Amino acid sequence: MAATIDLMDKLKTLAEGAKYDVSCASSGSHRRNRDGIGNAASCGICHSWTADGRCVSLLKILMTNCCVYDCAYCVNRRSNDIPRTGLTPAEVAELTIGFYRRNYIEGLFLSSGVVGSPDRTMELLIAAVRTLRHAYRFNGYIHLKVVPGADPLLVQQAGLVADRVSVNLELPTRKSLALLAPDKSREAVVEPMRQISSLIVANRAERKESRKVSHFAPAGQSTQLIVGASGESDRQIVTLSEQLYGKMDLKRVYYSAYIPVNDDRRLPARPLSPLRREHRLYQADWLLRYYGFSAHELLDEQCPNLESDLDPKTGWALRHQELFPVEVNRAEYGVLLRVPGVGVRSAQRIVAARRQGSLRLDDLPLLGVVMKRARYFLTARGRYAGDCSPGSTMLRSRLIAAPAKRDHGQLSLPFARELAVEAIATVISGEF
Amino acid sequence: MGGDYCYDGSDVGLLTLLADIIPRRVEPRSIGVEQPQQKDLFTAPVTVTTDPELAERFRVELFRRLTPLSLEQLRRAWYADHPGRELMICRFLLLVWREGGRAGTMLANPHVAPFWKLAQQVGREAHRYLGFVRFRETTSGYYYASLAPDHRVLSLIAGHFADRFRDQHWVIHDLRHGEGIVYDCTRRRWLLLPMLAEGDPELTPAEETFQRLWRKYFAVLAIGERENLSLQQGKVPLKVRPWLMEFSE
Repeated sequence: MAATIDLMDKLKTLAEGAKYDVSCASSGSHRRNRDGIGNAASCGICHSWTADGRCVSLLKILMTNCCVYDCAYCVNRRSNDIPRTGLTPAEVAELTIGFYRRNYIEGLFLSSGVVGSPDRTMELLIAAVRTLRHAYRFNGYIHLKVVPGADPLLVQQAGLVADRVSVNLELPTRKSLALLAPDKSREAVVEPMRQISSLIVANRAERKESRKVSHFAPAGQSTQLIVGASGESDRQIVTLSEQLYGKMDLKRVYYSAYIPVNDDRRLPARPLSPLRREHRLYQADWLLRYYGFSAHELLDEQCPNLESDLDPKTGWALRHQELFPVEVNRAEYGVLLRVPGVGVRSAQRIVAARRQGSLRLDDLPLLGVVMKRARYFLTARGRYAGDCSPGSTMLRSRLIAAPAKRDHGQLSLPFARELAVEAIATVISGEF
Repeated sequence: MGGDYCYDGSDVGLLTLLADIIPRRVEPRSIGVEQPQQKDLFTAPVTVTTDPELAERFRVELFRRLTPLSLEQLRRAWYADHPGRELMICRFLLLVWREGGRAGTMLANPHVAPFWKLAQQVGREAHRYLGFVRFRETTSGYYYASLAPDHRVLSLIAGHFADRFRDQHWVIHDLRHGEGIVYDCTRRRWLLLPMLAEGDPELTPAEETFQRLWRKYFAVLAIGERENLSLQQGKVPLKVRPWLMEFSE
């Protein structure tokens, strides 16, 4: 009984320390169940959602929350007065299997504070994952954090037992890293990323030769940036992400809106609408990965930050009105993808459906096109559905305006007569 | 043309009915288990007697005519719990018989769009339940999960769990539709059976411990400054929460 209470407290403290890590994905790997328990579904599966709306997919936990580093933004930094505790590899494995058997989780996300040295910490993490993989024959998803500065040999071992590995970049520039995380150097962070990237590429080539070669990080690598704790512009961040996707072949870059957890003179006060900014960055990130946009198209020196009241794609389309409206029955897939309100799925459906007959405007919502935005940027069989002409200066205000609640055609007339006349006049003329 | 058709409500029954009317290109006015409440003035309702042999032949014919994608959509729509599912399936198949494989991609067609949307709804729910199933360890040595999905998703999710938990006996029980899957890990087989609700099974002491650990963990995980309950409710609707231990006290 005492053991349970003890484990309960440890779980609470260590989950508390791990929850600020954003990565939650359990996708991208399709590890099969070979006479044990578990498999990895390549689509990824969410098992629950917490009160902040973030999904719970993996058991996200720290091996220990003791840490020799003193990073300004971190809850677990050395100078914070919090209860310190740790789990043994056996305890981690037991918890994971217990949760997994009940289908609470999709796998394990294991991270840790740095105890002793980066190498010592990495060894602990790998020991826990090995227990799971070998003693329990666990084939579920495992995301393993790589501690900056760990030995390359340990990094390689980590990739062989985990599905995804990640090194946290933490801050977008060398300068802010030196200011806020003085114990970590940019090189110590980037070097393992580069090593993992080349190992993944080499592994992919080897597996083409022989299927018997074991996977190295089949779900790739990811990283995380804190946004808003230092003065970088969105342009710097998005350009950095573009480089990471292009040169390091990362699967994901996660952005974490800076939330003050510590009092520190180096950190800014609570920034304005940090969650909105985070959201816009994720939208831009998706445009880079799935929509064929490049960073310089979305942001340039004149406007280095994403607009907060327009999504980045609509913002881009408004700056390039000469390209619109496009005809859905003729435009190429790549062009369709750039229309606001058309996503990857709906663009694919348009391409498939128009082969069987030309599409009308009324068909588009059936295919998943969001007409609220798309109607200003496309035509179908030459017809345009926007309520102001393409290229009009009113477009921006139409798109920004809060989405009007749809009333069901019932015209309500105010009692004062003058007002009523005015209201009818606007209804007739269509102007607001 | 037209007319009301009835069958016995079983899968084989519906296949028989479709085998009867599709090759004849008949578009029915209604298809149901019971006779329609409002009868047609000119034709009497037709009751189709289930014929397993005919149904099997038609099933093979379906595999021949449909593309893999359409077949998957059909499988999903088949398990929908929707009063119009039989008619939607029938209209889609009629189109397949007329247009061939390309019917599957005529997404804007008035007969394809509703069928396809229904399949999508069922598929989405099935995917959600891959995460929302919660097993409880019982003293009789098997893991038991109960749920009440809108559609009959059990057959769509069974394969996933059979692969993942192949070393434990488990049961997933759909309380709404009165059926359940039983997985036997010694023979590695699952079976869909009619199942009645008979109170909760007795749980092991370890089960209580893990449930408490999980609740504790779940409560800690939310970041207070980012609270967004409406987003949470969109993802975890209230109707599924009775089956999730993290939402029950």
